[in-house]
Amino acid sequence: MSPMLSIAKREFRSYFDSPLAYVVICLSFFALGLMFFTLNGGFWQADRSSVERLFEYAPMGLSLLVVPVVTMRLVAEERRSGTLEMLITLPVRDSDVVLGKYLGALGLVLVLVVATIIYPLGLFKFPWTLGPLDPGPVASGYLGLLLFSAASVSIGLLISSFSESQAVAFFLTFFVLAALWFFDNLAQYLSSGGSGGFLPGLLQYISFQSRLSGFWRGVIYYRDIAFFLSVTILSLLVAFRALERRKWA
Amino acid sequence: MSTDVMIEASALTKRFGAVRALDKVSFEVRRGEVVGFLGPNGAGKSTTMRILTCFISPTTGSAKVNGHDVFDKPLDVRRAIGYLPQRAPLYTDMTVYEYLRFVAEVRGLDESKFKSRLKKVVEVCGLAQSLGKDIGTLSHGYRQRVGLGQALIHDPQILILDEPTSDLDPNEKAEVLRYIKEIGKDRTILLSTHNLAEVEEACARAIIVSKGRVVADGPLSDIRGKTGRVRYVVTIDEKRGEGGNQAPSVSAIQQAFERLDGVRQVKELPSDERAHRLELIGPQDSDLRAEIFRLAVAKGWTLLELRRDAQSLDAVFRDLTRGDEKLDRGADWKAEGEADDDDDDDDDEVASKQDDDDDDDDDDDEETEDASKDLKAERKV
Repeated sequence: MSPMLSIAKREFRSYFDSPLAYVVICLSFFALGLMFFTLNGGFWQADRSSVERLFEYAPMGLSLLVVPVVTMRLVAEERRSGTLEMLITLPVRDSDVVLGKYLGALGLVLVLVVATIIYPLGLFKFPWTLGPLDPGPVASGYLGLLLFSAASVSIGLLISSFSESQAVAFFLTFFVLAALWFFDNLAQYLSSGGSGGFLPGLLQYISFQSRLSGFWRGVIYYRDIAFFLSVTILSLLVAFRALERRKWA
Repeated sequence: MSTDVMIEASALTKRFGAVRALDKVSFEVRRGEVVGFLGPNGAGKSTTMRILTCFISPTTGSAKVNGHDVFDKPLDVRRAIGYLPQRAPLYTDMTVYEYLRFVAEVRGLDESKFKSRLKKVVEVCGLAQSLGKDIGTLSHGYRQRVGLGQALIHDPQILILDEPTSDLDPNEKAEVLRYIKEIGKDRTILLSTHNLAEVEEACARAIIVSKGRVVADGPLSDIRGKTGRVRYVVTIDEKRGEGGNQAPSVSAIQQAFERLDGVRQVKELPSDERAHRLELIGPQDSDLRAEIFRLAVAKGWTLLELRRDAQSLDAVFRDLTRGDEKLDRGADWKAEGEADDDDDDDDDEVASKQDDDDDDDDDDDEETEDASKDLKAERKV
């Protein structure tokens, strides 16, 4: 096994050594259920055989709670406790450390994402069959969720690798991801008075919410895929630089 | 292997902003040596070790470990060494077994190799009872053992241990030193500490650093002779001796001894008996005991104790690193490092080091040079 995968495995397992993973999974499922069935009139009122709401609400839960909690400790905690020195002085490249930690955290987030599959399966296949569900938007919705998770975990890792404290990393990640999500709403608010303009356009351009909305409806744009992948790669590169900075600072 | 030099540091300099943590540190460690790396807190021991393990990079200078350059081949360097950082930072949520397994996995040991090495490591480090325990529940001594264990798991030729005995109780210290001695039979070990007794116990050679410079490097016996002094402790009864006409006063004794040929310094030591206790400093390789005895007889003093010590490593250490202390406490501070009970105020040092280093660099240079001149002057006398 390559060092990177060993690190990823250790990272992933360590979530389950503490109550953290269980608490996060339980809370987020509870919250998701609440939002899915009650928010904006709820699933039953909508009366449509679609799980679009799932893909609309899951990313919100992920950016506001799950990703900040899961990524806050990645590097910050290791730096504070000194284990980073132990880890880096093993024969591993800095990139192995960054990618290993990234994959470990992303793994946990994806466990959650995959687990939400009980919504479409449970409501439209077994035990309930509420109507014919179009598999296309479900598949594209999951693709969007996957890309979204990849990008937001990389942002969390980036912030964690710059900060010394978990709490700071948590709040910064929370703030950045929430901003990226609600920029879309802000853009709509700003442009509601008059015509578009530069700022609303920019906000809409970088908002995760507007980038994802296509996936919910079953529309996949290459530019959206490229956007999320670019954010991921850029964040990982900067996180790698942040880790390397220790050598010279 | 072609060369016998396992660790080679040449002119390592490391700056943290305006602070110069290391200043042209050079040394070599050969195969099979156990070397003690000594210095007060903040002298640059950990910085040097972090450079050798490629955790940080030197500002200038270069280092080679096992023939690999730390700049160009960091992975080869790290493969060749086992490293225990200060305070043994470990993942507290893993069990000892899981942790050792993780390290072995990252180091690319296969299953059978890991099994056989684990057996050996458990035996050497005494971990059999704690393999299944969470590291977070272990005492500091056991964590240190686990730290040693992970450094040994791949059977490295070179071990770099940063303060392996700090924060341990005396029993644990003795244990860890025993491991180090046992491990050191066939390996190269660089071991940092500020406890000199440990160096005397475990190492044959010491490198002393102070303010980021190497101030002494050599076998312990050479270093002990470095300041070139012999110390005598003399105790004289306070009461009138048989031949004498009056009870001796401290000042009278002091003056008499000061006139004695070769005596450089006389100092009163605290004493709880009804006696005067004095310390005399004489030149290296001399023996003034006969003269001291004859003087006492001539004056009619009752000699209760007369002892000659070659200078202890402790005192040498304080002498060599006293420059730090002087700078830290301001120019007026006079070092009186000779008394045995003079503790090192390491904590103050770290705090006040910062103030010092705010000075601009040229200034700093001058001060350090002054300090080293002082030292040279002292050694010459």
